Amino acid sequence: MNAVADWFRTLYETTGINLTIFYDAYDFQRYAAGIGMTLFLSVASIVASVVIGAAGAAAQGSGSALVRQSVQAFVVVFRNTPPLVQIFFFYFGVGAVIPGIETSYGTREPLLGNVAWAVISLSLFAGAFNVEIFRSGIEAVPRTTLEAAEALGYTRLGAYRHIVLPLAVRVCLPALNNNLINLLKTTTLAYAIAVPETLYAAKQIWSESQNVLEMMLLLLATYMVLVGVFAGLMHQWERQMRIPGYHR
Amino acid sequence: MPRLSRSVPPVLCAILIVYAGSAHALGPPTPASALEIVIKWAPLLLGGFAFNILISLLAMALGTLAGFGLGLLLISEQVLARRAAWSVMQFFRNAPWLVLLFFAMFLIPFRITVMGVTIPLPDWVKAVIGFALPVMANVAEILRGAVASIPSTQWEAAESLALSRRQTVWLVILPQCFKRMLPSWMNLYALITMATVQASIVGVSEMLTITAQVHAAEGGRTDLFAPLYGFALLCFFLYCYPIDYMTARLERRFNVR
Amino acid sequence: MRMRGVGLVLAAVSSISVPAAAADGPDAIKARGTLIVGVKPDYRPFSYRDPQGALVGIEPDLAADIAKRLGVKLELVPVVSSNRIEFLQQGKVDLLIATISDKPERRRVIQAIDPPYYADFVNVLLSKKSGIKDWAELKGKPVCATAGAWYNKTIAQTYGAEPLAFDGSEKALFAMKQGNCVGYLYDQTFLQGRMLDDEWKTDFAMPLKGILETPWIMAVAKGNDALAQVVVDATKDWAKSGLVVDEEKKWGITPTAYTLGMHQQAGDAK
Repeated sequence: MNAVADWFRTLYETTGINLTIFYDAYDFQRYAAGIGMTLFLSVASIVASVVIGAAGAAAQGSGSALVRQSVQAFVVVFRNTPPLVQIFFFYFGVGAVIPGIETSYGTREPLLGNVAWAVISLSLFAGAFNVEIFRSGIEAVPRTTLEAAEALGYTRLGAYRHIVLPLAVRVCLPALNNNLINLLKTTTLAYAIAVPETLYAAKQIWSESQNVLEMMLLLLATYMVLVGVFAGLMHQWERQMRIPGYHR
Repeated sequence: MPRLSRSVPPVLCAILIVYAGSAHALGPPTPASALEIVIKWAPLLLGGFAFNILISLLAMALGTLAGFGLGLLLISEQVLARRAAWSVMQFFRNAPWLVLLFFAMFLIPFRITVMGVTIPLPDWVKAVIGFALPVMANVAEILRGAVASIPSTQWEAAESLALSRRQTVWLVILPQCFKRMLPSWMNLYALITMATVQASIVGVSEMLTITAQVHAAEGGRTDLFAPLYGFALLCFFLYCYPIDYMTARLERRFNVR
Repeated sequence: MRMRGVGLVLAAVSSISVPAAAADGPDAIKARGTLIVGVKPDYRPFSYRDPQGALVGIEPDLAADIAKRLGVKLELVPVVSSNRIEFLQQGKVDLLIATISDKPERRRVIQAIDPPYYADFVNVLLSKKSGIKDWAELKGKPVCATAGAWYNKTIAQTYGAEPLAFDGSEKALFAMKQGNCVGYLYDQTFLQGRMLDDEWKTDFAMPLKGILETPWIMAVAKGNDALAQVVVDATKDWAKSGLVVDEEKKWGITPTAYTLGMHQQAGDAK
């Protein structure tokens, strides 16, 4: 490791190419923590947004018009407003309204920190898209399939669980993957509320060490790998789940 | 997005407006109500919003043009061209938009000299380029997808009519693609419009930047945050929702499969 | 003239090895008739916008003095910490008088003007309720900060504070006001400027001793020696005439030991 550090330090002194993260332990730790935070934000909001999507799609089949309308309103609002403004709105706006904790030194501390708000707003934004995706998946399963299942003696719930949902998931998988890959890229917006993810770490480092170009290229390379690996995994899963003869 | 209830938008607007109006009632007594302040600054804020729309339209136009070229390379018969186009597309599709925006801001010079003529590139032009890059990659992918969705029998039929490849692409395949591309293309436009606020992070004076400045000019009052940013949300909503709605209707009508 | 949309690697190599575009020297500036200076838009009293939107303060005054020496008009361009050096490198501004702390990394990429025209400390604006009396008490606590400030890293490393860095000052101050952090870490001069407002004076204070005194430098593009010489001469004249001290008084802050010392030395030398 020392040899690597020395090599990069020499590189800086001789050529001016300054990759601090390879010889400055603090910068390295910071950048690594940034990638860790990006992964955490991604995983947490992917899981939460899929749950929101599934719950929303289920609620849209509800008998109550009020429930259907509320879900529709949620979907329409979150799909059609900028995610960056949503994040600001949640962190600075809603965060100030909800009750906080009185700290030992007498100041008010909000219940949720910036990381929590980032996860919440990213999940809601992506979740709104997921509701639509899941619903269109369910709608794509022909009514006759459901009827056939019922004729075979499945209960309505059983037919949904064993017949409709497995088909629906496969149908909407490409759109879902696309949305989740976008979500991974959208986590960069958390930068705006000082969540120390990869972009934040890179920007801190380049403003301290004046190595914008080097960090920018490193940043792009990092996302190429992150998004590339994630997209690869999702597409592999998509291929495994593909229904023979059903694919258009 | 079929089955979209028509009653939703008016109800929503009403809720948002009532919320914006009532937000100040929750706060401490203040010299001017939140609604009055939003109205006072509305012309400036809407000017900023118009700038967002301008950036989105230019980025979309530029990106579509470039993406069309890239898409044609993607379906080219030359392996090398196809591979190169594919790498370019993957690169710009996988990079986060905000990162591409930083890239455009810091690495594009503020003016370029072409054959002795100096062309200034102000920040907002760089932002247009920064947004056009992902548009290009996505348009290329949409075009590729649309071409792939045309039944191969169309190609064969064109060939049997003795059309050259160029003729087949331009006269048979592409005309059928446009219809299929339209919903995805409109969807992309809505996403780009919403992304233009990210230009505030790199210092372009668009709506979000101006909203922050107005908030600071009004003394950074806590109770003003929700109404001011809510107004920005409302503007984008009123612009993007009709696009979203139209996209859903087109999708249903064309029944894109 | 850095990126030309060629291969990234090519660009990386060329932009690092090739110096930035040839900067305009005093002759070119005289020919064009304007001196373009980058200043801060939000750094009262050093440089900020008056209610009419004009950029005013100590640094615009200093910029005007240099424009007068060159016999040209002055154009002020607002810059922020995270873009000012790029602006200078790209030739968008001729000169930066924008609260730039003197750091070796910066001296590698810009032409610093010696002697520095000012020096400032780092301090924290804290809620009066917090009861923090020592830098060490910041350990493990979130501290709002501004992205691009060089000491964010030092404070984190030395005192174990956890900086939350936002773009610009307003968002950071707002986040602090809402209790998201215990204080706002920034240049002492700026915080003193804020304390001129009643709004901040009532609930917030600066109980800690300023640390990390750092000179502030003006800067021109690397290699623009002729312009640098003009600014160096101006700085030396200011030290003799006490212009910076007068400016501090004019804009309502107590003259610092650094500027007084500079004036004193120049006076002794005379």
